[in-house]
Amino acid sequence: MILSHFTALLLFALFVSTVFALITKNEPREQFRYGVFVFLSFLAVAFAVGWIMYPLPL
Amino acid sequence: MEEVNNAEQSAPQSAPVELKRMNMTATLAICSSGWLVPGLAHVLIGRWIRGAIFASCVLLMFVLGLGMRGKLYDLEFDEPLHVFAFIADIGTGLFYWIAERLNLGLGTMTWPSYDYGTTYLWVSGLLNYLIVLDAFDIAQGRKP
Repeated sequence: MILSHFTALLLFALFVSTVFALITKNEPREQFRYGVFVFLSFLAVAFAVGWIMYPLPL
Repeated sequence: MEEVNNAEQSAPQSAPVELKRMNMTATLAICSSGWLVPGLAHVLIGRWIRGAIFASCVLLMFVLGLGMRGKLYDLEFDEPLHVFAFIADIGTGLFYWIAERLNLGLGTMTWPSYDYGTTYLWVSGLLNYLIVLDAFDIAQGRKP
């Protein structure tokens, strides 16, 4: 199985944010909002770090 | 009439949730089962939906990790840092041992998604530790 980096990132963020939201919040509405926040944060940080590393000679 | 209004205003917004506390032996037994089978602890406590979601998240991550040719680490003292990887991997409980017995999780370093797969395997185990701790808190009456 070969997933693209972005797909793997999306799935990773989805699973982790779901578990985090269910563990840290008690009300369904809070869980949904926090889950979406964590999911989007994963994506935003990944994009930001990706662009920061882009000019580096790695 | 004013008294009724005052009573309504001073009433709490929602009824307080009654937190039940189990004895420590039952709690540890439930947590052990949750470690062996992800999500089972919450099912035993009566949180069916939460347990099913946890189980599917951990198992999907584990299966995807194996599918991406990730590596499951054994307990090797020659490489001390691998002990941490081993601790993360055994978080999935029985599924780690089943995968080991089936010779899965050998890891193909040349495979494009090897690193992602290995990370998926680590994180699925680590998430299950968090899930077990959540079940512990619920069983001890610390959270609803």
